[in-house]
Amino acid sequence: MSKQLLTKVGMVVLLFVVVPAVLMAFDRGYFYQIATIAAVFVLLAASLHLVTGVAGLLHLGHAAFYGIGAYVAALLGSELEIGFTLGLPAAGLAAAFVAFLVALPTMRLISIYFAVATLAIGQMLYLIFLNWVSVTKGPNGVLLFSGIDFFGFDIESEIGIYYVVTAIMALSVVVLYRLTNSYYGNALRSLREDDQCAAAMGINVTVLKMQAFVISAFFAGLAGALWAYTTGYISPNDFNFSQSILVLAMVVVGGLGSLPGAVIGALLLILLPEVLRDVGDTRNIFVGLVMFGAILFLPKGLFGEVSALRFARRILGSGWSGSADNREVGWE
Amino acid sequence: MLDPYYLQQLTIGLSLGMIYALMAIGFTLIFGVLNVVNFAHGEIYTIGAFAGLLMIATFGPPLLAVLLVVMAVGALAGFGLERLAFKPFRRFSDEASMKSRAMREATLMSSLAMSIVARESLELIFGSQFQSVDLSYLINKQIQLGPVTIVNGDLIIFAVALVMFLGLQWLLKYSTIGLSIRAVSNNPLGARYCGINTDRTIILTFVIGSVMGALAGILVGLYYGAIYPSMGFTPGIKAFVAMVMGGLSSIPGAVISAMILGITESMATSVVSSVWADMVAYAFLLITLVFFPQGLFGARRERV
Amino acid sequence: MILSRRLTVSLALAATVAPLAGWAQDAPIVIGYQLPLTGNTAQYGQDFKSAAEIALEKFNASGALPVPVEIIYEDSRSDAKEGVTIARKFVDNDDIVAVLGDFTSTVSMAAAQVYKKAGVVQLSQTASHPDFAKISEWQFRNITTQDQEGAVNAEWMHEKGIEKVAVIAEQTDWGQSVVKGFTTPFKDMGGEVVFEEFFNRGLADFRSIITKIDETNPDAVYTGFFYEDGAQFLKQMEQLGVDIPVYSTSAAYNDKLIELSGEAADGLFLTATFLPTREDAGVQEFVEEWKSLHDGAAPGQFPAQAYDAVNIMLEAVVRAYPDVTRESMREAVAATTDFPGVTGNTSFDENGEPLKELTKATVENGEFVEVK
Repeated sequence: MSKQLLTKVGMVVLLFVVVPAVLMAFDRGYFYQIATIAAVFVLLAASLHLVTGVAGLLHLGHAAFYGIGAYVAALLGSELEIGFTLGLPAAGLAAAFVAFLVALPTMRLISIYFAVATLAIGQMLYLIFLNWVSVTKGPNGVLLFSGIDFFGFDIESEIGIYYVVTAIMALSVVVLYRLTNSYYGNALRSLREDDQCAAAMGINVTVLKMQAFVISAFFAGLAGALWAYTTGYISPNDFNFSQSILVLAMVVVGGLGSLPGAVIGALLLILLPEVLRDVGDTRNIFVGLVMFGAILFLPKGLFGEVSALRFARRILGSGWSGSADNREVGWE
Repeated sequence: MLDPYYLQQLTIGLSLGMIYALMAIGFTLIFGVLNVVNFAHGEIYTIGAFAGLLMIATFGPPLLAVLLVVMAVGALAGFGLERLAFKPFRRFSDEASMKSRAMREATLMSSLAMSIVARESLELIFGSQFQSVDLSYLINKQIQLGPVTIVNGDLIIFAVALVMFLGLQWLLKYSTIGLSIRAVSNNPLGARYCGINTDRTIILTFVIGSVMGALAGILVGLYYGAIYPSMGFTPGIKAFVAMVMGGLSSIPGAVISAMILGITESMATSVVSSVWADMVAYAFLLITLVFFPQGLFGARRERV
Repeated sequence: MILSRRLTVSLALAATVAPLAGWAQDAPIVIGYQLPLTGNTAQYGQDFKSAAEIALEKFNASGALPVPVEIIYEDSRSDAKEGVTIARKFVDNDDIVAVLGDFTSTVSMAAAQVYKKAGVVQLSQTASHPDFAKISEWQFRNITTQDQEGAVNAEWMHEKGIEKVAVIAEQTDWGQSVVKGFTTPFKDMGGEVVFEEFFNRGLADFRSIITKIDETNPDAVYTGFFYEDGAQFLKQMEQLGVDIPVYSTSAAYNDKLIELSGEAADGLFLTATFLPTREDAGVQEFVEEWKSLHDGAAPGQFPAQAYDAVNIMLEAVVRAYPDVTRESMREAVAATTDFPGVTGNTSFDENGEPLKELTKATVENGEFVEVK
């Protein structure tokens, strides 16, 4: 068995055999809950990774697209009784559509201007969630009683929900992974390194940025829908500016430009506050200090881009034989 | 003749704008020198307010003394912030590292981490509620000006903002320190080659910017009588918006944009529900970005 | 799987109980309390905790039960994500027979989904979302709904001959219910609502809204805010020289309101269920105890709510004892009738809604006084 296959199989076994086995052995709803939240945020961080990590565009309003997904799923479920099977893709598509609309005028912007534009978009969407009472129910939030019905099968057990959420998360992460470790991904990286140079090489910078933004919003929308289906109640505060910053922190702490880094960052920032629960009221100070320490001592993140790319090449193997001289991509 | 109702709303907008401007000046100064966003500026503002609060509660000195102490605390906080959250990321001084986006984003995150630690610590020590302030210190004594009502705080804030603004303009234009700040802002490597101590200049900028932030904190805290650990968040976002609208590194631009923002908000409130007032501010920002990409008053930039 | 868990638990229980029946009875009865101990709303959560500790200490010292009762506190930060996680954690802990909390309706309702599924009784001291108690038979609250408070306020204003009222409230589920609870009965009485608006919680500057209210010339303003926003609103009313009587709800009832706004608070009218000055042994005992812990500051409405919630729960434990299970606790809480708390007598109707009497109060010379 080759090494690449081993890693792939290892991950699948970890996600679908080891973790569920541990969960079932303890059989504690608390652990299931943390596993589900972690899966949702891993997906969210992975989707932001595409825009911020790979294409190098600082995105300060990601939580809003996550919110659109959650609202679409919850409102379809509670108002029109459209279940999970249709609601999930609808949530992703709705988020992608809104992203497309707002991207039309703003995608020409670069660097800090882009960041501020996404901040404004995120805040505007949040204000809509909060104040458009007749549609979003405003601050009352939306109650969603239907659970996950997967092509007609009602999934009720904890382990079933875990499998559905994790499978969707894993599938999305694989898609994002293939996307970023491909020639398309390299084109996106060229935007980050020098967009003028990329344009000179014949890359349509604006279109490419827009694609990255829309795809990222699609996966954020999926994450939102998963959150809505698993908690059963959403309200605007789940999607405010601090959530955008939290997701951004996950991507940065893990290592900007590295998908495994984003995943690790998400796991760290979700699990750490839980582990520190016993510390009591000071636990958020610890979270801040850990974040600071991670950035200070590992400026390239816990799992930086270079090691990530090396890792990607090992896994994807032959797909990357193109880089003949074995030169590393990314900064270093 | 304007309807007194709109005149009053305009006055409120101006005073709101002045408050945003007070915060935006320091924020823009710090952004200008390193080209990085300082997420912890809002916490400097909060620390300033709490320092003033402690002074008032323990000694009860005249207002001027309170302000001086607050400025000293702000200077110290700015110095500490720069040392902890920004200095470590300047250890590589070669050209590639200085231009690297990764370095810039690292300081963004480190200042964010610092701001979390500062806010949570304040919450732990003081609790997250509004702190009680000796009411005689509040600067909200009513003054009637014809059909409109203002308070003495409006005048104080206007005076302080004006002094800050003019002082800073003078400093930047006519003093050696200002010259080196502008040099570092323009080209840090070039400045270093010319024998400017960039490290010292950056610290100095942080100290000046943070003194202004802390001063803004205590003044606004006393203006509203509302001092609490997360008080810096909203003004921080507004200052950020004003800075971008003004063209990033232009202090006059930021001040004027802050005024526009304040007036827009209060005028919007007079027409639509106040919950949508922020929407107008953000819409304004987006329009600025799309149609005036170099900011309303910014220096011409190559591209944005 | 659920069956197997139950089986395991009961087997484990049987194994412990059988040989040591006498000893096992001494194991404390555990109640969970989820509340915001950090974050933006920590001040409320810390007050709840303090009130709960007073109630619990008194109860355990009283010897009403041969076994002690324990409360486990978990911090939710008023974040739905954390609230649900805590709910799961509480449900897992088989020792926990009932749960108190959370503070905001958002978090309480997100957590309620978990308690509903697991079958644990949840009593919130403050969740006022109109649908909260309707989620399932497991949800209860001991705070009055705004339908009740709004009706009392409307009646009160009507008696005073007030016809035109401006209504503002915070943009939260609670604020929405404040407006609805007041305007419906007030309009039925023939009153006119000339202005209706919401504001975002923590808004620093109310001056634009106040100017707008003044423009519509109402006879009174009815407000739905907590004490911090309330203090800001009242101060800025005075600052702008706008002199319109303000009516409010029990949420504004807190000494901090007066402390933060000074003279501007004078003349505020509000309804309340708790008055620390009331001549009642239970109230005075709580107020004394609270003052000794908080530098002489009197407790507000919310700590009193928490104090009562804990006592209702403890009374339910006594009622269910010795068979204290999650099922029996639900029955015991539902059976609460005329519980004599510091916020008045509490009974639950079939939906788990409390029925309470409201008193009217006003601020005079920097103090809350009851209006007879």
